[in-house]
Amino acid sequence: MSPLLQAWSAYVRLTVRWPSIASIVPFVPVAAVWWMVTELELFPRVFLPGPVEVVRSFGSLVYKGILPEYLQDSMVRLAVGAFWGIALGIPLGILVGTSQRAHTALWPLLLFFQAIGDIAWLPILVIWFGYGLITMTFVIVYTVIFPVVLNTVLGVRSIPITMHRAALSLGASRARILWEVVLPGALPNIVTGLRNGLGYGWRALIAAEIIVGTSGIGFLMFDARRAGSVVEILLGMIILGILWYIVDSWILAPIERATGQRWGLVTR
Amino acid sequence: MKSLTIRNLSKTYFDPYAGAHVTAVHDVSLEVKEGEFVSIVGPSGCGKTTILNMIAGFIPITGGEILIDGRPVKGPGPDRGVVFQSFALFPWRTVLENVAFGPKMRGIGRTERERIAHEYLALAKLSDAAGRYPNELSGGMQQRVGVVRALANEPDVLLMDEPFASVDAQTRMTLQEELTRIWQDRRPTVIFITHDVGEAVFLANRVVVLSEGRMLEEIRVDLPRPRSWDALHEDEQFKAVTGRVLQLVRSA
Repeated sequence: MSPLLQAWSAYVRLTVRWPSIASIVPFVPVAAVWWMVTELELFPRVFLPGPVEVVRSFGSLVYKGILPEYLQDSMVRLAVGAFWGIALGIPLGILVGTSQRAHTALWPLLLFFQAIGDIAWLPILVIWFGYGLITMTFVIVYTVIFPVVLNTVLGVRSIPITMHRAALSLGASRARILWEVVLPGALPNIVTGLRNGLGYGWRALIAAEIIVGTSGIGFLMFDARRAGSVVEILLGMIILGILWYIVDSWILAPIERATGQRWGLVTR
Repeated sequence: MKSLTIRNLSKTYFDPYAGAHVTAVHDVSLEVKEGEFVSIVGPSGCGKTTILNMIAGFIPITGGEILIDGRPVKGPGPDRGVVFQSFALFPWRTVLENVAFGPKMRGIGRTERERIAHEYLALAKLSDAAGRYPNELSGGMQQRVGVVRALANEPDVLLMDEPFASVDAQTRMTLQEELTRIWQDRRPTVIFITHDVGEAVFLANRVVVLSEGRMLEEIRVDLPRPRSWDALHEDEQFKAVTGRVLQLVRSA
């Protein structure tokens, strides 16, 4: 057996044992190319530092306590914004999805306000609320809520009419149908809306922190630009990617596996 | 289980594309006694599903009346159980929870409604599937669940809308035999909609032939029970009744 084959079989056994390794491996060639480009000094070190410098900067920022604090600030802002976005978005989506009257009244408004992008609100929000949590929460809620509402409406409307009829002829009241049929039936779409909403919200948060922030990952990157520290900018970008990966694979994907996929409503 | 009376039932609706009123059901009268099994048979578009949807209360009637034990039908209700062609099981509920759904809506506690559900699942030989989700079952098994889910709620009338049309031919014969067995055991009042003449005759005490929204004829089926395809396949009486119904449907 050739060594190459042996290495491959070892890798396969390893990923079967620890599946999470398989999600790290794709980054190895990316990091390798990055490292090679910086070692060859194709660009000045100041413009493009290598992975080693970034890891070192990570260590020093963690040691100084800046990174943990900023990370916590960003995560708390996202969590607060996401909570309100979900808490308002799902009921609103169900209302618009189930009631023709609510749909007629609210749909044009939804489309109108959706078009005014999240950060387009920043100038006026800064004047109203200043540089703080209210402004940033508003932006995140605003960003999260539209994908959640629109996907919830889609989910509610795509429930086959026979589901409603089956529940009614089994004696369910309109109110119980909301809980027993409408909510679970729309859930796969709601999760899709959450995934989009949180993704957009995460980006909007970083943008808001860059513009109005006094802390957070976005602020870290903007502050590093002022100091001309490309290392910290790169570090910020990498953290953004990793955090999103964690949110997606630890929170959103398990929800999807436990609901829509289990029920056969969405294909794996 | 109670009786069902349909008097001069009609349904017209406005077709926005044709720009005209269309009559889907015209002056249909039918009396179904308690514990009777009636098949309504006819070609696609003859109005049979429209009649069932009106009995179920899913769509409003535009003329005549529908009475369950003397009371007029107003909207859908648990007194009329429905079995759908598309099964309409709740994908987010296990088989057991699907069957227990009706009793749950009636406010029956968990222990008791699960006992009821297990009893009905056993009736359809589905006990092993209790904890599974509908999408894990074959079409034939899903529709068995659909039938016992409706029965577990003890409706006055069981309405079945081409329930076996979307399963394969062999499974369909098995399901038909099981349905006759369950019917003999529980004696529900059944209205069974189908376009399959053999199925209509095999199952029913009485076959109603429908064409273009009108009732053509009612035919009694006095075949002995229990019925099985092995016994009826070559049965002269079965062939004679089926031939007569087929003639009516085809002439329509």
